[in-house]
Amino acid sequence: MKTLVLGLGNPILSDDGVGIRVAQEVGEKLKDPQITVAETSEAGLSLLDSIVGNDKVIIIDAIQTEKGQAGQIYRMGAEDFSLTKHLSSPHQINLATALELGKMLNLAMPQEITVFAVEAKDITNFSEKCTPEVEQVIPEVVKMVLKELNE
Amino acid sequence: MKRIIIDPITRLEGHGKITIFLNEDGSVANTYLQIPELRGFEKFSEGRPAEDMPQITQRICGVCPEAHHMASTKALDDLFHVESTSTAKKLRELLYSSFYVTDHTTHFYILAAPDFVVGPDAPPAERNILGVIAKVGLELGGAVINTRKQNHWIIQTVGGRPIHPCFGLPGGVSKAINEEERAKIEEIAKSSVEFGKLSLKVFDDVVLKNKAYLDMVLSDTFTQKSYNMGLVDKDNKVNFYDGKVRVVGPDGKELCKYAPREYLEHIAERVEPWTYLKFPYLKKVGWKGFVDGKDSGVYRATPLSRLNAADGMATPQAQEAYDKMYSTLGGKPANFTLATHWARLIELLYAAERLLELSRDPEITSTDIRNIPTAKPDEGVGIVEAPRGTLTHHYITDEKGVIKKCNLIVGTTNNHAPLFMSIKKAAEDFIKPGVKITEGLLNRIEMAWRPYDPCMSCATHALPGQLPLEVTIYDAQGKELKKLSQGIS
Repeated sequence: MKTLVLGLGNPILSDDGVGIRVAQEVGEKLKDPQITVAETSEAGLSLLDSIVGNDKVIIIDAIQTEKGQAGQIYRMGAEDFSLTKHLSSPHQINLATALELGKMLNLAMPQEITVFAVEAKDITNFSEKCTPEVEQVIPEVVKMVLKELNE
Repeated sequence: MKRIIIDPITRLEGHGKITIFLNEDGSVANTYLQIPELRGFEKFSEGRPAEDMPQITQRICGVCPEAHHMASTKALDDLFHVESTSTAKKLRELLYSSFYVTDHTTHFYILAAPDFVVGPDAPPAERNILGVIAKVGLELGGAVINTRKQNHWIIQTVGGRPIHPCFGLPGGVSKAINEEERAKIEEIAKSSVEFGKLSLKVFDDVVLKNKAYLDMVLSDTFTQKSYNMGLVDKDNKVNFYDGKVRVVGPDGKELCKYAPREYLEHIAERVEPWTYLKFPYLKKVGWKGFVDGKDSGVYRATPLSRLNAADGMATPQAQEAYDKMYSTLGGKPANFTLATHWARLIELLYAAERLLELSRDPEITSTDIRNIPTAKPDEGVGIVEAPRGTLTHHYITDEKGVIKKCNLIVGTTNNHAPLFMSIKKAAEDFIKPGVKITEGLLNRIEMAWRPYDPCMSCATHALPGQLPLEVTIYDAQGKELKKLSQGIS
């Protein structure tokens, strides 16, 4: 099964880089040639380009929710994004729309997409480090991703 | 496992905000615009080796990393006082042309087309790329995906890495291409030229053949007579990678033409008390407020401004499209904001044609790709045209090449003042006493925003993976009348 682990975000923008940090650590622990570990700071259509041709995709990203606590970890299926999928966006398209577009165009879409999201505190100040609240949960997210890969 | 509902925070920094205040009679009293900005990049870069800047600066923006990489690499040429080899310059421009093909394709089909193909009054649920493809056909949808994919292959092959190139070095590039790669690039360029022509045909069929749309493009509401900025080559033709910055007035007369090192003589930044955004303006003309016309230093740096600031396109088919646009719009310069979408497609065709030319250049597979710098570094400025406006990188270092000071003027920043003015004008023209405020009406106000495609903190990609925009209208008592949110659940 062709699998992609994709870290999303900006590695020099504090907690926005958490997805990339997790992906890098996961990459260091893997030797399976069927699993590709990648990172990107692009969204929308580029996300679609990255995931096409894989059977299983695990995405790791930062998230900001109204009542979330920094460092909180969420595990979601792509269906959880259906709330926003039909809204047009001022700049790009979101994950759910990108997935729908892929299906519409008959691209080789993954059967399984899992998203791990970490509640971010700071995503506006440039820094290579995450905030302590986010930094401390990275090992746990790495463990969750590895477990997901073994299932 | 817990199932959650995504509820993105509506923080001030989190999304673009247009706020409109009304008078007692229902007319517009005031309009405000907020665009989130990332903070602290200049400080972040201090103390770092200058040669890391092409890698670091491309992380500022998640939409145009290639533009930052290129402006930064050119700033390093200047900083280390070294000229790139001819092949290196051509490889850089080749990659950059591919990047333009991908970026302009994305913008048109994702952002611009829904308003016209699906319609400005269509419900948001249909007004998106899925609605566009449902109307124009799956084949075109496939061509959009394929053009992007193939050009990303070029960026990866030439730049050494997908999306974030790592080939730019002071004095050249780190990697040559072989004949096999060149041949494949040529094939991709040929199909990109066809795709560029096809996209112009779509614009022709959908927009130009629809009188209501053409009238909207030409309407006073979407007209703004500001100065135009764009990089031009020695023949004053549009160039994305190199040349001088030319500024042409709303009357079509050249105001100035400056080399990268001279940018501070021509550009100043205005600060307003109600926002932390800076508003660059033309120093020689001066800041006269948020007004257009020849006496106001406000300028635009958009695809349309680039075409207005130049004498033409350097490739034949793009030149043909350029002539057609100006004859349709009634001459040069064209001050119609919505025509920016048209100009963008002409640039797409130019980028594809230029890509094809470069892929056939006898020097392109040469291995003479770098001049090693030997002079002491001190100060350097690099300018390219990013898709969203003229991009300036300016570094000052110590004699070891460690950054002491860094100043960037990014594409969108140039357009802060005109963007604000375009929105204000649309709001004032559409919201009138007695006119019902509908979602379609608010979308028309947003249509004044879209041609600029402002890069709101685009390096941030926290979920839900899109940048929300919100329009709020308050009545004279400060009560919220209507709110239109996109991307905010």
